[in-house]
Amino acid sequence: MKRLIRIYKPFTRAGLLEMVTYRVNFLFFLLGEIMRCFVMFFVWKAVFDSSDSSTLYGFTYDNMVVYLFITFLCGYITYSDGSYAVGKEILDGSIAMRMIKPVDFDMCFLFQELGGKILQLLIVFAPITIGVETYRWIANGAFMMNVPMFFLFILSLLLAYGINFFFNVIYGFLAFYLKNLWGTGIIKNVIMDFLSGATVPLAFMGSFGKALGYLPFASLSYTPVMIYMGMYSPLEIIFYMSLQLVWLVVFIVSSKLVLSSAMKRLVVHGG
Amino acid sequence: MMRYIRLHKIFIKQDLKKLMEYKVDFLLGAVGFLLEQAAQILCLGIIFAGIPALCYTVDGVVVDSWGFNEVLFIYGFSLIPKGIDHLFFDNLWGLGYWIVDKGDFDKYLTRPINSWFYVLCEKFCVDALGEIIIGIVLIIYSTLSMPAQVADAINWWRVLPVLAVMPFAILIFTSIKTATAAISFWTKRSGHITHMCYMTNEFAKYPTKIYNTFIKTAITFVLPFALTAYYPAIYILRGESVWSLPVTVLVSLALFGISQLIWYRGISSYESAGS
Repeated sequence: MKRLIRIYKPFTRAGLLEMVTYRVNFLFFLLGEIMRCFVMFFVWKAVFDSSDSSTLYGFTYDNMVVYLFITFLCGYITYSDGSYAVGKEILDGSIAMRMIKPVDFDMCFLFQELGGKILQLLIVFAPITIGVETYRWIANGAFMMNVPMFFLFILSLLLAYGINFFFNVIYGFLAFYLKNLWGTGIIKNVIMDFLSGATVPLAFMGSFGKALGYLPFASLSYTPVMIYMGMYSPLEIIFYMSLQLVWLVVFIVSSKLVLSSAMKRLVVHGG
Repeated sequence: MMRYIRLHKIFIKQDLKKLMEYKVDFLLGAVGFLLEQAAQILCLGIIFAGIPALCYTVDGVVVDSWGFNEVLFIYGFSLIPKGIDHLFFDNLWGLGYWIVDKGDFDKYLTRPINSWFYVLCEKFCVDALGEIIIGIVLIIYSTLSMPAQVADAINWWRVLPVLAVMPFAILIFTSIKTATAAISFWTKRSGHITHMCYMTNEFAKYPTKIYNTFIKTAITFVLPFALTAYYPAIYILRGESVWSLPVTVLVSLALFGISQLIWYRGISSYESAGS
């Protein structure tokens, strides 16, 4: 364990420094992306105003606001650039330099990305959770945050990040076969956003949504968000978090398989 | 002027040749954009499945409401000016993200044509056709499936003034991109600022009345994306907000002037990133 930390600490540092350098870009990007939440904030307000009952599919308006912003937060925290980084190195051949070093290929990316996450966490996590809790506090007149749930939420978020990271590593290795990352990347993101409930809660989709709940995509953001909102019973929490664990293992194993099969096909010209 | 039109044609031809070379990349990109829009429309459908119409209420009293078809119409309309700007003037994104940063901007200053025009027309972004086509399809679909009393309110003659104002609506997009891309002359990179301003466009895809005063003012006068989407669309549908048409012309010209000012100021203080 100590050895692991010693080897990969420089990667984490590099990731952090990179993030610090581009912090202003990141901030503007974030401000742009959060705009979408505010659009939906008003759209949902109008939707709930138009409805006769105060709940839609078990969601009140306040639930919906929390859902919107916490989903956004999850998307940001679990976001992984792994596919792009891996794919780019494969296409331009610089992957060869990584392969001759005595470090694990995916671990390099993981720790480099975690370094960047440290700063992102500070910028994104605290303001959004404090904002959401203040909103709930004003709307309900009582402090709504459930501390044990919050820790479970963080645990679930970590699992979600792991799943997303290894899923993206697999996708990045597909660059060997696809030779195109931009177009397929858009397709991948759209499908993932929709199936993970990031655009509309899965509860709104009826039995189809329930089926989607078992797919790995729901593990990415729907499960942690539902835990945060306290909409899962203890039994459901145990079930969905074990499901996350299962998907994590599946993706780690298959990423190793894809890696070893892809390495056999790798041809680097020059470099 | 004629010379610039002729040059633009040559540039477009060049890009089409490039496109034929990378057919699969283009196809995948187009499918991606199509799916992105399809997912958003599906979401709208899911949201609307639970309510009869989207209402704007003040103190519990319904002031205005829009049916699903009308919202689709507005949504579809919003894609058209955006798509046309995207089709012809996409290169400004590159300027803010990497052209200045890599030191490639020098090229544009050494040619005997206007630098702004050269940047604008260097890339012809065929992907945008997907956006325009979806916009048109949505408009046609939503008008065909409208309930009779909504469809009767449409006066198709009102399309003519909207078409006349359309170039100015496109100019709003181009000017905002120009102004924010030009910031990179000082900072080397400004793509993220363009991205931030562009995201306000999301507000314009829905009826403007549902927002609070601050946002309503911002998207009508500051980053006036509502003028490119909700106002002209609702004018066609119901004849409301006629005032927005002359305002679009004035605001877009003002924005254009500001963007040109920033552009030329930027160029005079531009230092190459060089290598």
